[in-house]
Amino acid sequence: MAAVSGLVRRPLQQVTVRDAINQGMDEELERDEKVFLLGEEVAQYDGAYKVSRGLWKKYGDKRIIDTPISEMGFAGIAVGAAMAGLRPICEFMTFNFSMQAIDQVINSAAKTYYMSGGLQPVPIVFRGPNGASAGVAAQHSQCFAAWYGHCPGLKVVSPWSSEDAKGLIKSAIRDNNPVVVLENELMYGVPFEFPAEAQSKDFLIPIGKAKIERQGTHITVVSHSRPVGHCLEAATVLSKEGIECEVINMRTIRPMDIETIEASVVKTNHLITVEGGWPQFGVGAEICARIMEGISEKLVLEYSQAIINIVYLNTYWIRRLKPAFSPRSCIQFPGCSRCSCHWC
Amino acid sequence: MRKNGFLLTIMLAAVSRVLSGAAQKPASRVLVASRNFANDATFEIKKCDLHRLEEGPSVTTVLTREDGLKYYRMMQTVHRMELKADQLYKQKIILGFCHLCDGREACCVGLEAGINPTDHLITAYRAHGFTFTRGLSVREILAELTGRKGGCAKGKGGSMHMYVKNFYGGNGIVGAQVPPGAVCILLH
Repeated sequence: MAAVSGLVRRPLQQVTVRDAINQGMDEELERDEKVFLLGEEVAQYDGAYKVSRGLWKKYGDKRIIDTPISEMGFAGIAVGAAMAGLRPICEFMTFNFSMQAIDQVINSAAKTYYMSGGLQPVPIVFRGPNGASAGVAAQHSQCFAAWYGHCPGLKVVSPWSSEDAKGLIKSAIRDNNPVVVLENELMYGVPFEFPAEAQSKDFLIPIGKAKIERQGTHITVVSHSRPVGHCLEAATVLSKEGIECEVINMRTIRPMDIETIEASVVKTNHLITVEGGWPQFGVGAEICARIMEGISEKLVLEYSQAIINIVYLNTYWIRRLKPAFSPRSCIQFPGCSRCSCHWC
Repeated sequence: MRKNGFLLTIMLAAVSRVLSGAAQKPASRVLVASRNFANDATFEIKKCDLHRLEEGPSVTTVLTREDGLKYYRMMQTVHRMELKADQLYKQKIILGFCHLCDGREACCVGLEAGINPTDHLITAYRAHGFTFTRGLSVREILAELTGRKGGCAKGKGGSMHMYVKNFYGGNGIVGAQVPPGAVCILLH
């Protein structure tokens, strides 16, 4: 369906994540003429994944720009534009290709506000699909949440639902800092119910605040992006056995909302982190470190209550393997085949 | 004695012949030339190859005395500032990297002469001269180099990270300034 804003919005309609991002960008392009979008195939092809469908027809060549296949080139051009006063949205076809341009993202964008003593802000948004897709193998499946989340000067967000996607892309565009928006290709076509307030042109989700998607008392499950959906499915299965999971959707990787996670762990005494990135030095590892450092006085962790990190080994062949573990109360997630438990 | 005197005479005669040979101009012209000095000078510039353009930049330019003195003053200032920075670097008062442009002041001063203050400029790591010609004071530049909070980036950037309005540094990564610099295509 065409996603140009101006359509009559019915209350509580089903909106896909793709259309939500499209609406968010459309509204911000309309609101501020300094905002523009550049990337591979964003204009005439309507977007490699059709996320920018209809925008080139509406805004033209000057606002929606097709670039050559040179991530370092066009990411750098976007950074220069941001320095000169425009507000670019730089789309990477997937974040795997952002590795080509990572110097521009980190050294030219993230560090400049600090290194100029506050003189030179860089109001840029880098967005695109992150993490695994269906059968695209190792070079096209990397999750960059931990890599970008490591860097001071960057904000990193990772939406799951349509509401997240629209609110976070709008906040990212309005933010004067470089913001990395890690979308997920497999989520683009998934419809969600769009609450009434999300249909407003000023609907923003604050960067740095997590959302508790499901209240629970027995175990805290923290995740971001597509795995949040899997956590909610697992929570439904477990609640039939009488285990109530509290599922937290991080929404923002950096600055991380550790307070929400902490408050939940203090309540439940159990924590599982679920992510699509690699385990070593990952998002789950950071959450564990912060929880262990921060709340060791509020909470005594007994030997049997260690934190479980669950990561997806997401290549096509691995999906066929059975999970090779069986700790006491471990939740089996679809597609997951490995668990790194701290006590094993 | 007589032999030396004889040699001296020959030498003097030879020298005066050389001198009179050099000054071929008639006496009147020599007098006129010593009283006139030019107020401006015309320079020829090499013609550029053009690609998809009708006209290129002009092939002659005129430098007035006023401008000449101004550029000379700017170049001297940059030169002395860079020499001082060199000295401070050797004394380890400036740490890290320090890329100097003494000897190449003409690049930054000449470039600034050819553009407007509203044009955008970006450079690589050899940025001190450009920072000065774009408008910052020597004090702010040296304070930045020595890591003091009076520096243009409060001491957090150093040699390669100085920013002024319409001047985007100063880039530490070699070549990284090229794509951001290409933004002028988008802006115009």
